[in-house]
Amino acid sequence: MPTPYPQIERWALPKGIVGATLNGVRAAGLCGKESGALWLGERAEMAHIQTVILPSGQGVEERSTHWRVAPEVFGTVTTWAKPRHLTLLAIAHTHMRGVPVRLSWADRYCSVQVPGVLAIVIGNGGADHDYREWGWFVYAQGEYRELLQHELAERLQIGNECDIDVWRADADGVWPIER
Amino acid sequence: MGQQVEVTVEYLPATQPYRHPYSEEAVLGTIRTDAMGFFGVSDHQDRDTHQFFLEFDRHRLTNAAETLEQLVGPQRRGAHFNLVEEIKPGS
Repeated sequence: MPTPYPQIERWALPKGIVGATLNGVRAAGLCGKESGALWLGERAEMAHIQTVILPSGQGVEERSTHWRVAPEVFGTVTTWAKPRHLTLLAIAHTHMRGVPVRLSWADRYCSVQVPGVLAIVIGNGGADHDYREWGWFVYAQGEYRELLQHELAERLQIGNECDIDVWRADADGVWPIER
Repeated sequence: MGQQVEVTVEYLPATQPYRHPYSEEAVLGTIRTDAMGFFGVSDHQDRDTHQFFLEFDRHRLTNAAETLEQLVGPQRRGAHFNLVEEIKPGS
């Protein structure tokens, strides 16, 4: 039986995904609250990240110390994503100013734990616009480990493609965001 | 032997669903366990309590003893679920 988690060697990340994520998380950051985004796409040896989902509203907690997404939101995103052949590839979230871009205990253990999924920490409430300054972690062999700069440069392919999708999600559904 | 129901369970980080035919007398607890095995996840406790649930028609299913027939009604050929994780913070 084929694995539901094909090996990922590299990620193709359009610059627009970075910009859309920052646009989505900054407002909460300015209010001193963490926020985040789900990155979806095609999971393969070269995984293509194509879609940003910005959870907000019902089923989403944005606090100064944590960002939490209820199972019901993951349920609505699953129902929306699977007919589109989209798979969760990464969860990005912010840390507030002064908090290192490293995974907290909760970030490590209260998140999706399947091989190859990325956990990304954006510093300064979303004000750190250079993705290379973010914390990048990949789940492998039962734990999240940091992708060091040379590995990140090797495995992350930044592109200029414009055809990305940005959506908002809560416990009731998923909606497009006008850009 | 009851009628067969083709069960599909989707999990957001997985590229493919869990698919399996079950008798309509099969209980949801069995389907949940089988799907979790396919996706390589498990209920567990660390500082917090992690538990996986099946969702059907946007409702979280908590009665493991409920049968497929009780859930979807008789004569239904297929049933589609999502698998989601709930994390209850420890005290």
